[in-house]
Amino acid sequence: MAAAAAWDGPTAGELKAAGAEAIPGGVRVKGWVIQSHKGPILNSASVSLFEDKLQTTHLPEMVFGESFVSIQNAQTGVKLHFNALDALKAWKQEALPPVQVPAAAKWKFRSNPADQVVLDYDYTFTTPYCGSDVVLNQDATQTTLDECSNLCWEDTDDRIDLVALSAKEPILFYDEVILYEDELADSGISFLTARVRVMPTGWFLLLRFWLRVDGALMRLRDTRLHCSFGSKEAKPVVLRELCWREATFAAMSAEGYPSESAAYADPNLVARKLPVVMERTQKLKIPS
Amino acid sequence: MGTSDLDRQIEQLKRCEPLAEAEVKALCLKAMEILVEESNVQRVDAPVTICGDIHGQFYDMKELFKVGGDCPKTNYLFLGDFVDRGFYSVETFLLLLALKVRYPDRITLIRGNHESRQITQVYGFYDECLRKYGSVNVWRYCTEIFDYLSLSALIENKIFSVHGGLSPAITTLDQIRVIDRKQEVPHDGAMCDLLWSDPEDAVDGWGLSPRGAGFLFGGNVVSSFNHSNNIDYICRAHQLVMEGFKWMFNNKIVTVWSAPNYCYRCGNVAAILELDENLNKQFRVFEAAPHESRGVPAKRPAPDYFL
Repeated sequence: MAAAAAWDGPTAGELKAAGAEAIPGGVRVKGWVIQSHKGPILNSASVSLFEDKLQTTHLPEMVFGESFVSIQNAQTGVKLHFNALDALKAWKQEALPPVQVPAAAKWKFRSNPADQVVLDYDYTFTTPYCGSDVVLNQDATQTTLDECSNLCWEDTDDRIDLVALSAKEPILFYDEVILYEDELADSGISFLTARVRVMPTGWFLLLRFWLRVDGALMRLRDTRLHCSFGSKEAKPVVLRELCWREATFAAMSAEGYPSESAAYADPNLVARKLPVVMERTQKLKIPS
Repeated sequence: MGTSDLDRQIEQLKRCEPLAEAEVKALCLKAMEILVEESNVQRVDAPVTICGDIHGQFYDMKELFKVGGDCPKTNYLFLGDFVDRGFYSVETFLLLLALKVRYPDRITLIRGNHESRQITQVYGFYDECLRKYGSVNVWRYCTEIFDYLSLSALIENKIFSVHGGLSPAITTLDQIRVIDRKQEVPHDGAMCDLLWSDPEDAVDGWGLSPRGAGFLFGGNVVSSFNHSNNIDYICRAHQLVMEGFKWMFNNKIVTVWSAPNYCYRCGNVAAILELDENLNKQFRVFEAAPHESRGVPAKRPAPDYFL
């Protein structure tokens, strides 16, 4: 954050060598347009709008409703989009049961008011969202993201080439966008972020849902998308890897890991310690 | 510690320069003498300016003082959550504490749920003290002071102010007055509720959070509390509101939030509530300090080869 070195963006030489062009909020390269936008959290009026659309009165404390990352294939109109509204629609649909905080056990024995209402929505905002996709027709530009596209993600044995992605190529575009965040009333953290980087050989995106309910459990749901630009003739292929990890604090402590929440501030450092509960790789062949 | 020492320390803290460890220790001892005399329901006279959460956003608090006027010229009531999350919890809390010691009758500080040993160890203040002083002594002095902070304030017998909200264990202000507050914030009970609970539209009476701990209270609870205690409305903080303040339940409770661009990324405005001697209200809305005034240049996030 504060310690991060300044970055002035790619040099003109780097862009030119890659056949790329900088555009407002993004880059155009090898037939792809990659863009991002960061807005403020929703104001009261837009909160009401979201509540109506989602049929709920409970939203994360910070919903960056205008923020997004968008990746579009110029020739075919295939567009992959990452935004808070669609992610929260998926949260609403999955509707997991709420996670009890450690203090809950004690509260059960408290002389609570007789007429109290127990709220039971998933306050962790856990979402299975892995992005929205849509095909924009040349003639029907008003196609919205709500409409189902006919894009077909097939299961595959292929894997994202992490070794190739580790190469220190020039970065033509980079951004990190928070889609929503909630502090769980100071009982932990829940957030959904999208990070994207574009190199001369391809683009890579990481959509991450991270949840830590202090003293109770941690959940990490990562979606990685990679497209290697390849040759001009070949149809572009997008690989999508889903990896969900989850563990309770009790299970972590039994494995010999710390039990205090402060030890689990950075999901990057926690990821490998959490057992995988779901893994899946899919392939999207961009239709010509 | 003389007045001139204190004035020098206040000037130093206003430049966002922390005090030496020994100075912090002496300041905390002095503050303790003052705070121990305060009631759990501290009486506050109007005119007064009420401020919500600050969360270590020192340069934004300086904006607050620009808008609201300097202490002691303006009489202030801060509703807690001075520390955690922002980059300057140490300087923020010490400046407020030094002002309290220097002008005890012109600034009232009450406790928020972040003024706690347990919470500060997770959300930033502990790490900041360790980073800035190389030891946790300053954190220890400050958290001891937290135990002495009052739990609520009553302005001209008409406006009840608290960090979080109401408790099913509390129906009268006298029940708050008898709480033994000199302790770490407990996990349940009246003191916990005052610092942690939230108003909630979805219930009329009492609600329990889906977390299984933490009360929510509805409009009926607020109406009957205000009626039985003969108060006009409740003023609280604790929850981020994009417009800086938010009324609920037919103007019977208001949330005031004083951390603009919360966590340096939310883009929200902040507010303070000015009450004149006749308790006429004026919300003063303000924005985050411009980047240049923070001594940190605005920059793009540095790219990294994340996988």
